[in-house]
Amino acid sequence: MSLQTLRVLEAFLENPTDELSGADVQKRSSLASGTLYPILLRLESAGWFVSRWEAIDPSSVGRPRRRLYRLTPSGLTRATEVFASFSFSRGVPT
Amino acid sequence: MSTSSWVDEFARWTIRHAAHRASQPLAERLEEEWLADLEARPDGWSRLLLGIGCCWAATVIVQEDIAPVVTAATTTGNKVMSSYASTNGSLVPQRTTALALIMGLHVVLFFAFATGLGPRMIRALPPAIIGTVLEAPKDPPAPPPVSKPTFRDPQFVIPEIIPLVDVPADTEATIHTTPAPVPTTETLPPPGPPQPVHRVLGNAGKGFPNSADYYPPSAIRMNETGIALVQVCVNSKGYLTGTPAIAKSSGSPRLDEGAVKLARAGSGHYRPTMENGQPVDSCFPLDINFTLK
Repeated sequence: MSLQTLRVLEAFLENPTDELSGADVQKRSSLASGTLYPILLRLESAGWFVSRWEAIDPSSVGRPRRRLYRLTPSGLTRATEVFASFSFSRGVPT
Repeated sequence: MSTSSWVDEFARWTIRHAAHRASQPLAERLEEEWLADLEARPDGWSRLLLGIGCCWAATVIVQEDIAPVVTAATTTGNKVMSSYASTNGSLVPQRTTALALIMGLHVVLFFAFATGLGPRMIRALPPAIIGTVLEAPKDPPAPPPVSKPTFRDPQFVIPEIIPLVDVPADTEATIHTTPAPVPTTETLPPPGPPQPVHRVLGNAGKGFPNSADYYPPSAIRMNETGIALVQVCVNSKGYLTGTPAIAKSSGSPRLDEGAVKLARAGSGHYRPTMENGQPVDSCFPLDINFTLK
């Protein structure tokens, strides 16, 4: 697992119940968009994440709806295991 | 159109173009998702970077054929996650490895040029060809104009005719002759006895090379020893005037060859032959002894 993937997981593990858009993850992980979006899709394909469209009315809010990602329960378990296997707590792999 | 709006339009166009490189259901999702994230970007520069990044992301997604299927992932999540974790198990991604290799190559090249590879290459380069334009030869100066010859009529002078006069002939002629010299025989004193010449033959002089230095290695390995007699011709200053030649062989062609080399190397270090105390040009035999200790 690459360091970039770990940084994405770390962004979600700050509050595992949060639903984050790609822009939010990018702010937390400081990854380039060319690296971030393939990782999000890979993790979603692998079942670590689920995603959905933001439930808003774009015309009333004045912006397009975002795609929101969230850790699945199994994804949360595996992400925790991965960090534990590296024997360090969150925040180290930068 | 202002610069920022132009950048926004370019970023949107880039995102649409990049998203539609993926397969159709995913392409529409990526376009909407990336355009929504584009709106969250504060300035034109970050939007432009997002557009460029999405191009790269689309390339990776298409190459890896990533197609998230949420429903399938929930049922077989553990299996897929395991395979994902095992295939992407390296802490260092491939792109980082390639970047490190490229940087290492640059460092090696910089080190090579800094330590003299550049000057050596420059020295190896052929010198520049400098062309010189030769001036065309000037026309030789025109000869002075030749005046046309003028012809004059020849003038013939007719000598006057002198009338002949009879002259009486001489009756006595007196002839004065000088007597011829009479050869005389001069008596030279008899030659005395030949003067004795005190002659000291030349030899190897000061600074003459040592025979051990010219002992052929092959002869040493074969334990060959002997004395070669080399005929040398030396001038009054101790320099060879001809090529040394073997006068008497040592019995070994290798030792003979070494002796000739030694005699040739000793040019300038010979003691010339002395005649009545004066150095003269001469040829003399020289003994060269090769012995093993």
